[in-house]
Amino acid sequence: MKENRLPVFSVLDVEKRFLLRKGRNGPVELRALDGVRLDIEEGSSVALVGESGSGKSTLVRLLLGLDRPSDGRVLYDGGDLQQVLSRDRARFAREVAFVYQDARGSMNPRFTIGDIVGEPIRVHRLHPVQHIPQRVSELLERVGLPPSVAVRYPHQLSGGQVRRVAVARALAQQPRVIMADEAVAGLDVSVQASLLNLLRELVAELRVTLVFVTHDLGVASYLCDRIAVMYLGRILETGPVDAILQGPAHPYTRGLLDSFPRFDRPLRAPLRGEIPSPVDLPAGCRFAGRCPCVQPRCTSSDPVAQPLPGGRLVACFHPLSGQSGPT
Amino acid sequence: MDTLADTTLLSLDALSLARGRADVLDNVTFTLGRGQTVGLIGESGAGKSTIALAIIGLLRAPQVALRGSIRFDGVELTTLPESEYRRLRGNRIGLIFQDATAALNPCFTVGAHLAEPLSRHLGLQARERRQRSIELLESVGIGEAALRLDAFPHELSGGMQQRVMIAMALACDPQLLIADEPTSALDVTIQAQIMELILERVRARAASAIFVLHDLALAAQVCDRVVVLYAGQVVEEAPAAELFADPRHPYTRALRACSIELGERDALVPIPGAVPGLEDLPGGCRFAPRCERASARCAQTPPLVTDGTRRIACWHA
Repeated sequence: MKENRLPVFSVLDVEKRFLLRKGRNGPVELRALDGVRLDIEEGSSVALVGESGSGKSTLVRLLLGLDRPSDGRVLYDGGDLQQVLSRDRARFAREVAFVYQDARGSMNPRFTIGDIVGEPIRVHRLHPVQHIPQRVSELLERVGLPPSVAVRYPHQLSGGQVRRVAVARALAQQPRVIMADEAVAGLDVSVQASLLNLLRELVAELRVTLVFVTHDLGVASYLCDRIAVMYLGRILETGPVDAILQGPAHPYTRGLLDSFPRFDRPLRAPLRGEIPSPVDLPAGCRFAGRCPCVQPRCTSSDPVAQPLPGGRLVACFHPLSGQSGPT
Repeated sequence: MDTLADTTLLSLDALSLARGRADVLDNVTFTLGRGQTVGLIGESGAGKSTIALAIIGLLRAPQVALRGSIRFDGVELTTLPESEYRRLRGNRIGLIFQDATAALNPCFTVGAHLAEPLSRHLGLQARERRQRSIELLESVGIGEAALRLDAFPHELSGGMQQRVMIAMALACDPQLLIADEPTSALDVTIQAQIMELILERVRARAASAIFVLHDLALAAQVCDRVVVLYAGQVVEEAPAAELFADPRHPYTRALRACSIELGERDALVPIPGAVPGLEDLPGGCRFAPRCERASARCAQTPPLVTDGTRRIACWHA
């Protein structure tokens, strides 16, 4: 039991720009992330939520050390991630597991399921080689698969089964943090429900930290205890799930919540237009162009995240108060 | 003065479809009234998309064995010659597919896509086609429509591509619009916009629509009636509000119990087991092996029984 007050990950004013071309008037850049701040506490489960193009996956790539920030820093255990990686990349790779969106594509088709799940154990030397088959069986059972699938190949399993194998592989390295990018997207509701239940049990049982990227607010609210809502390369609102669902402070969060189909309310389309291009970001608040509550100030200056009671942050000059949506 | 024949636009009667040894559809029966919207829901392999493809005549003998009847506006479609079908598709029956990127030809501009039905079915000349195309794009919320006519599909966002496909589907004022998962590739804010748009256009023309959906809450809000399919059979059908307020078939209940509602923290209840393969379907009720209420009686196929506004195929309902 380690008593650690430091967040596992701290994202400090991170920017990530991708050069598109060298234009006549200077380089043309895409700002995938623009001033992102986020702390991920040990043992928490955080959902990164947002539409396509909001920067969710880019942020995860930076957290995994697969890309470097163009500006700002990512801290792991209080130390700069780049230094952590150059000092001991293997340890970081063991402690932070990743579950890919395309589970089947993330597996070598020539490997059996047993090889796939056993690989992290072998690479990180977590168990003696002769114990690996036994450990693989335990892991497969833990994710609800019969141990007999160990001799099969990824193409022989269904979509729901390969996702479970991907989770078993992540568990195999005894991680401290599990990151998952749309790990339950595109599945039938029943298969999705059982995978979500599995993830929820594992997080509770192993006290692992979870960073879950999803476009689905329902999934986020079911699985995680905190939500970070991203839009056009920035986090607009963070806070505990229940507080955000009951009273979103950012107009974008409310728009997302109100767009979500529900049994008890007619479908509405509260937000007009689409997410603008990250190549020329608007001046002022990046959401101002679609915001139903826009004020003159919003188009001239860019709001920074302000704390609200209850461990929440919101980047808006005119945060909402009260219930979600008009009654 | 309405007679049944006048109010019914489409009726499927005991439609069965087999592909090799696989029974993809078994005895599917439902009707769609004029101005009505019906939703087809169920897990993968239930036959939702197959029904859509069968109606528009893209699944025909000898590739598949089709039995039963599909009547559209008084015309039997299962025996309709292909040349006649071509006059229906894209004209009186509009289609919206799930994957707009795949459904649009990457080599053709938006304008060329829209011009095709306008010239083939309506015989419009170039100038009129252009005028009508601009109106269509504007009607689906695409700004700077005249400029967009020259754009290629890859130059548009996913939401914009979906709007173009809707404009194509509506080009000839169809009486029936079939939308197969029209928004499942889109973000939730765009989904809300697109569904609102489709419904508004359908209602403005007093057309009918069939939606293939996997999102139950979405089906509850956009459909008048909902047909629940399991492994190629209709298990329950009812007005949308009634169906979700009081699901009676164990499968409908189970689907409802594993659908996430926003803010729900209570454990979801997955359905045990998996959808059976279409080549080795269980005899009797096909859902019985996964059903919590299954009994000896379920070895017999339950008939689809009408009960008020609802139809249901279960011995225990």
